[in-house]
Amino acid sequence: MSKPDYLEIVEEVFYKYKDKKTEEFKYLGKNVVRWDAIAKITGQPVFTADLLNLVKNPVFVYSVRTKYAHAKVKGVDYSDALKYPGVLAVFTAKDVPGINDVGYVIPDQPLLADRKVRYIGDTVALVVAESLENAREAGELVQVDYEPLKVYLDPLEIIDPETLEEKPHELIHDERGTDILTRYKIRVGDVEKAFKEAAVVVENKYETPFQEHAYIEPEAAIAIPEPDGGVTIYAKTQCPFDTRKAVANVLGLPFNMVRVIAPALGGGFGGAEDVGNEIAAKVALVATRLKRPAVLIHTREESIIGHTKRHRTISWYRHAAARDGTLLAVEAKVILDKGAYASLGPFVAWRAVVHSTGPYKVRNAKVDVVAVYTNKIPGGAFRGFGNPQVTFPVERQMDLLAEELGMDPVELRLKNVLRNGDRTVHGQLLDHGVGAEEVIKKAVELSGWYEKRRLYASLTGPVRRGIGIAIFYHGNSIGAEGADYSSASVIIQRDGSIIFRTGLTDMGQGSIQGLINILAEVLGVPPNYIKVEAADTAATPDAGPTVASRSTAMGGNATLVAAYKLRQRLNKLAAELLGCGSPDDVVIEAPKVYCKDDPSHAITWRELVEQAFWKGVPLQEFGFYRAPPAEWDEETGTGAPYFTYTYGAIVSDVEVDLETGVVRVKEATTVYDIGRVINRTGAELHAIGGYIQGMGYALMEDLYYDSEGRLMNDNLSTYHIPTARDVPEKFNVYFVEAGYYHAPFGAKGLGEPSIVAIAPSIANAVVNALRSKQANKLVNKHPLTPDYVYGLIKKAGVKP
Amino acid sequence: MVKVTLTVNNVKYELDVPPLERLIDTLRYRLGFTSVKEGCGRGECGSCIVLVNGNPVHSCLALTSRLDGAEITTLEGLAPAGKMHAIQVAYIEARGVQCGFCTPGFIMVTKALLDRVSDPDDKTIREWHSSVLCRCGSYPYYSEAVKRAAKYLKEGKVYFDEREVREKYHLKVLAR
Repeated sequence: MSKPDYLEIVEEVFYKYKDKKTEEFKYLGKNVVRWDAIAKITGQPVFTADLLNLVKNPVFVYSVRTKYAHAKVKGVDYSDALKYPGVLAVFTAKDVPGINDVGYVIPDQPLLADRKVRYIGDTVALVVAESLENAREAGELVQVDYEPLKVYLDPLEIIDPETLEEKPHELIHDERGTDILTRYKIRVGDVEKAFKEAAVVVENKYETPFQEHAYIEPEAAIAIPEPDGGVTIYAKTQCPFDTRKAVANVLGLPFNMVRVIAPALGGGFGGAEDVGNEIAAKVALVATRLKRPAVLIHTREESIIGHTKRHRTISWYRHAAARDGTLLAVEAKVILDKGAYASLGPFVAWRAVVHSTGPYKVRNAKVDVVAVYTNKIPGGAFRGFGNPQVTFPVERQMDLLAEELGMDPVELRLKNVLRNGDRTVHGQLLDHGVGAEEVIKKAVELSGWYEKRRLYASLTGPVRRGIGIAIFYHGNSIGAEGADYSSASVIIQRDGSIIFRTGLTDMGQGSIQGLINILAEVLGVPPNYIKVEAADTAATPDAGPTVASRSTAMGGNATLVAAYKLRQRLNKLAAELLGCGSPDDVVIEAPKVYCKDDPSHAITWRELVEQAFWKGVPLQEFGFYRAPPAEWDEETGTGAPYFTYTYGAIVSDVEVDLETGVVRVKEATTVYDIGRVINRTGAELHAIGGYIQGMGYALMEDLYYDSEGRLMNDNLSTYHIPTARDVPEKFNVYFVEAGYYHAPFGAKGLGEPSIVAIAPSIANAVVNALRSKQANKLVNKHPLTPDYVYGLIKKAGVKP
Repeated sequence: MVKVTLTVNNVKYELDVPPLERLIDTLRYRLGFTSVKEGCGRGECGSCIVLVNGNPVHSCLALTSRLDGAEITTLEGLAPAGKMHAIQVAYIEARGVQCGFCTPGFIMVTKALLDRVSDPDDKTIREWHSSVLCRCGSYPYYSEAVKRAAKYLKEGKVYFDEREVREKYHLKVLAR
């Protein structure tokens, strides 16, 4: 059987341009001004809540949330709320016409709590009123009869960390019969033997914190009832097609009766997956029942309580190495604090297990990853998706090993890192496109690693400096999580302007710009000929979810396929019109079109399009791409989990104040192998913006609960993210381009990778600043807040 | 209800507002200035910052009823119709716009800063910018935007023709 045409096109283009330098392209790898930059700097209404001004006669929806983290719901009495001025209706679980569930991967999460509540954030009723204030005030009058149950905030109350067996307890998910959501493992080689024979063994326990996305735009959704009984929803959602499915299930409607449009998102970072479905389902339920537009706008507090977080983890790692530094074996147990619902947890746990031994040659491994329910805000998708949680322990372990072996951390990593021709721990052959060695070497060079390592070791006084490295790899797109497809449509208009449609969303990450650059490059038109339509389930093709660093690679492939086919047709026509020797001789540099040997004899792009119209050459094309299926053996953790990997090396240069425990990053070096730079501005913004977000994760961000499961830091006064004052004074950014042959011009993803190894690089730098073997072992969790760092300075006896 | 007269972006409005109506709601929902964004409602994120009598103010913490006679500028009023302010052009050129939700706050703070300090250094820019939160992490690019804007203003280039700016920049390749 021959290959699908889309695979052939992507491969053909990759090999044709493989040796062409990125700077020689016209639009690829250039700093093209974003398609939406001018709208945004002029304050145009581009976000969901801005559209409220355009909606007439709306009703407002307020979610009444539980005050108990774990309780049975015995009854809901909202008669007083209904009497409150302006209140139109109150809806509870019994009012859901379809399936009362918005679980993303498994159906474990009711939209409106029925039997039970499982964390402080579960919605028990929706109050609908003429104003948001009235809805909120009436919400206070909803009486819920609860029977409180024991609250579990620590996964170790539920699972035995030694045996990883579930302990007897009052089940959070009694309907499932277990509070272990999922288990994944790797069983490769002979771990026991390797540890027995190893010259050096290091082990430690690690913890990584919850992280809140803190996108600056809180969630909003607006639903408009349609005359045919359907509904149109504008909502903050990363994945409008997933949102449509969730809404259709809740309402009991076929998919084609639900239309979801995603306006610009004020940040997403993975957080706008689940919650987009939930808020859309809430407003859709109200709008279809009351036949009026329904609006829901979260406050910051509702946003933080009401959407998923990066999973907290507890892990135990053991590494074995030979005297020369060769890694012999890795043994690990990783527990994900799941919170109350599965959300994307099964996939997060899977990505964690895949990446659990780092970007190294590891032939013996025994890893268990277990996701355990607790009565906290659910863990879900967050940029990095399980990988930062395992990269932190892996990269801390490498520095423990380096110290034991008396090796430089860079040398130890270079000794073990994956190269072309190596196999991953899963047995996947990496025959090309591995830029791991190069990213390390470049990061070392740009950061002045060796000089600073020497210089900082001799500094005295209360303020120390330190420099640390961390490396990682990150599987692109969704791998073995599901069907990995993408699509895009390109329609050339009669005047030569172009409409581009894809179901991928823009959360600010700018991936749409990458697609515009690809389309412009292949067609030969300036990017400003192209207009992008917002993701809309009724108008744009389903391109799969906007997640997993897949937009540029997967969306780019679909765009490339559509553009390539159009270009082939236009080349053929232009060759006929101009009398070129072959269609391949046609040069399109819109507005000029000519044969390559005679630029003076040209027609215009518009003329070419007009001729195509009259001659019946189709001016619209649909691009589809399906990634080759990934392989994964559940019993051994072997296979080919992702089609390709992004590699990166981060060097952080920090200052540690021994008298206060305050850590400041002075300089950051980020080097990523992204195959091919498609959108240079976007790539740089990720290399820097991802660092800053990762620095927050490393130094200041965590969630704090009281003993009843109430989140104590639920706003931006108490949940601190980096400000302009926290940013390093200097960034060194560089991109390595080890291309992948099934991606557009070789491009790999950078959205998630840009946060994966920031925290361990900073932690390793702090250890380097402290110059203490004891501190090396003690820095086993983050955030590295001043009180934690001050405590470990004292414990390790580090003196100025 | 309280009667107030506000001048917003050089237009006078006579309004009857509830005594506790927040300025942000007046601007966004009563008058339609949607550049004013609500990110936290408690003066932390800075996305709602507007100029009240030339001073940067969190419009989520200000009550409209207390602002009788005030002159307010939002991003929509930074330049006359058909024009774009040098600060806006500088923000395009500096390439920092990502999700764009915080950008109006940064631009308004930049305006207030440059009205007071014509040539701010890095430290000053960071201090002023620390009143606005950006989760995409565009801070270094926004610092660069302030410097570019300061340069334009020093050269006397305050307003640019909006059409020309669109033609020059919309989806155009920038020289590094």
